[in-house]
Amino acid sequence: MAAKKVIETKNLSKVFKNGEIEVHALTDVNIFIEEGEFVAIMGASGSGKSTLLNILGCLDKPTEGEYYLDGVFVNDLNKNQLAAIRNQKIGFIFQSYNLLSRTTALENVALPLIYNRTGKFSNAEEHAKKALEKVGLENRIYHKTNQLSGGEQQRVAIARALVNDPAIILSDEATGNLDSKASIDVADLFVKLNDQGKTILMITHEPDIGQFAKRMIYMRDGRVLTDEFIKNRNTKESAMRELELTAK
Amino acid sequence: MQQLFKTIKVAFQAINKNRSRSLLTVLGIIIGVGAVIMTISAGEGANKQVQDQISGLGTNLLMIYTKMEHRGGTHVRLGRPIDKKDFDIIQKNAVWISKLSPLVNVGAQAAGPNGYKSTVVYGVNHEYFDILSRELSSGDFFKEEDVKSAGKVCVIGETTREELFMDLDPIGRQIRIDKIPFTVVGLLKEEGQGAMGQDQDDIILAPYTTIQDRLFGHRRGYDMIMASALNENSVADAKMEASELLRESHKIRDFEKDDFEITTQVELQEITGNITGILTILLGAIASISLIVGGIGIMNIMLVSVTERTREIGTRLAIGARESDILTQFLIEAVVLSLAGGILGTVLGIIGNIVIYKLTDFYIPTAPYSIMIGFGFAALVGIAFGYFPARKAAKLNPIDALRYE
Repeated sequence: MAAKKVIETKNLSKVFKNGEIEVHALTDVNIFIEEGEFVAIMGASGSGKSTLLNILGCLDKPTEGEYYLDGVFVNDLNKNQLAAIRNQKIGFIFQSYNLLSRTTALENVALPLIYNRTGKFSNAEEHAKKALEKVGLENRIYHKTNQLSGGEQQRVAIARALVNDPAIILSDEATGNLDSKASIDVADLFVKLNDQGKTILMITHEPDIGQFAKRMIYMRDGRVLTDEFIKNRNTKESAMRELELTAK
Repeated sequence: MQQLFKTIKVAFQAINKNRSRSLLTVLGIIIGVGAVIMTISAGEGANKQVQDQISGLGTNLLMIYTKMEHRGGTHVRLGRPIDKKDFDIIQKNAVWISKLSPLVNVGAQAAGPNGYKSTVVYGVNHEYFDILSRELSSGDFFKEEDVKSAGKVCVIGETTREELFMDLDPIGRQIRIDKIPFTVVGLLKEEGQGAMGQDQDDIILAPYTTIQDRLFGHRRGYDMIMASALNENSVADAKMEASELLRESHKIRDFEKDDFEITTQVELQEITGNITGILTILLGAIASISLIVGGIGIMNIMLVSVTERTREIGTRLAIGARESDILTQFLIEAVVLSLAGGILGTVLGIIGNIVIYKLTDFYIPTAPYSIMIGFGFAALVGIAFGYFPARKAAKLNPIDALRYE
C-alpha cells in the first residue's frame, strides 16, 4: 500500500534575476515526501535549501516545475488561496522562533487559528492548550514569551506549528539559535511528534541534528545531490553521550 | 464578520502592548478634537448671545432708512431723506404696523452735577420704548405731550447716569446737552453690550421734536423710522406695505429702484448669523489643523510600528494571514487610536467649555454638532493617515519580513 504523498515536486527550478545576472537557486529538484516521514534537508549555505523551503512553504513560487502539496496543485493558487493553504496544511518553525513579544504562550500558539476561516477550530484556546501539552509546556501556558528560555520559546513555536493539525511541519534551522542540550531536546521532540504520525521536513546544517531524521536529502548548488534513508539514526541518548564525550 | 471581530481583538492587543506610546500618539488627536469642539462651541455661544440680543430688540422690529452708498470713503445718501411726510403717510395708512417712531441722532456733550460725557443723543417719540421693548429701572418714559410740545425731558441709560451723577438719584434732576438743560424723567434698565458690541446703556433719549428744534435748529429729515409690525407673522407684510407707501410718497416710478431700505429684525439676525457663522467656520478650520497634525502623528507612529513589527507581520503572513487581514489590523489600530483620542478630546472640550464659563462667565453651550464634527474628523484622520502604513504592512514580502533584523 503506497502512503499518501504530502509533498511532490516535478523539475522544480527557481531563477532569481538581479539586473543582468541570473542566479539559479534551484535546478530540476524532484522530491517527494510521504505521510509520516521525517526528512532532513542538509547543505551548505547557498545550496538552495532555504529557497526550496520557501517554495515548499508556499511563500514563494517556482520559476518552473510543478509543486503538489497534500494533493493540491500549488502553482495555480492565488495569494489568498496560498494564505489559506499555509494556514491549513503547513506548520512553520523558524530559527528565531518569531513569537509575538510580551504575549502569552497560549495566545502565540492560538495565532494561526485566528486566520483559520474554516470554522474547524472554533475553540481556539482549547486547541492551543492541547498543542502546548504535546510539547511539554502545560505549566507555561500563561507565561509571556520573554519569561521563557530559548528552548521553551522554540517549543512554543513548535506548538504553534502543531495547533492547526497541518499536513506537514516545515522547520527552518529550528535549532540554529539553541545550545547543544536544547537542540537535542528539540530534535528529540521532532522524533516523538513523528512517532505520533506527524510528517516533518527540517532544514539544518548541523549533521548530528540531521541524523535524528529518517531520511536525508543533501543539496549542493541548487540540485539534490543525495537522497537516502539514514541507517544509524541519532537518538536523544546517543546524542547526549556524544555531547558528554566532547565536553570531556 | 467573525474574522473582522478577531482582527479587532488583535488590534486591541497590539495597542494594549504599547500603552504609553499609544497614549502619546493619541495626545495630538485629543488636543485637536478638544480644540475643534471648544472653538466651534465658542462661535456658537457668541452667535447665540448676539441672536438673543437682537431678539431682545423686539421681535417685530422694522427699520426704515434712506439708501446709503459708499463713495470715496464716505456715506452718500441716495435719494430723498425719510421725513415727516413719509412718517405721516405710514402712520395714517399702514394696517400691518402698530407702532412707529422717528429717530434722529446726534453726538453731543452732556453735563451733569457730577461729571460730563460725550455721548449719543437719540431723538425719538414715546412709542420708541415699546418698539424696542426697553424697560425702566426708575422714573417714567416721556409722554406724547412732551413730544408734541418739544419738552426738554430725557431718559438716560445706566452708563450715562454713572458718568453724570455718580451716586445721585438722577430722576427729576437736570442735565445739559450741548448747554441746553433737560430734566431726567426716567432711567433705563441695564442692557449690556449690543449685538454689534456697542454699549446700549451709553445713551440719552429725548423727544425728537426737541432735538430737532433745540440741537439742529430746524426740522430736517429723520435718520430712520423705527416701526413695530402688528405681530411676528406680519413682519413681511408690514415691510411690503411700508415699501409701497414710501414708493408712493417718494413718487418712485415702477421701473425705478427704491431710494430707501427696510431692514427687519429677522434680516438683522440673518446677517449677524452669517457673520458669526463665518467666524465659527474660520475658528473651527484653524482648530482642525491641529487635528491634521495629530493625524500625522498617528501616521508616524504607525510607520514606526510597522517597521518594528516587520517580523511579526512576516510571521502572521507565513502562518496564513491574508494581506487584507494585516491591512485591517493596522487600519483598525489607527482608527481605534484616533477614536480613543476623539472620545478623550470630547471630554476635554466639554470640560474646557465649563472651565471657561466658570472663569469668564462667557457661557458656551457645547454644540452637539461640534462633537460630531470633531469625532467624525478624528475617525477620518485615523483612516486617512492609517491607511498608508497599513498598506505598507500588508504589502510586505513574507520571506523578507521573516528575515528582517
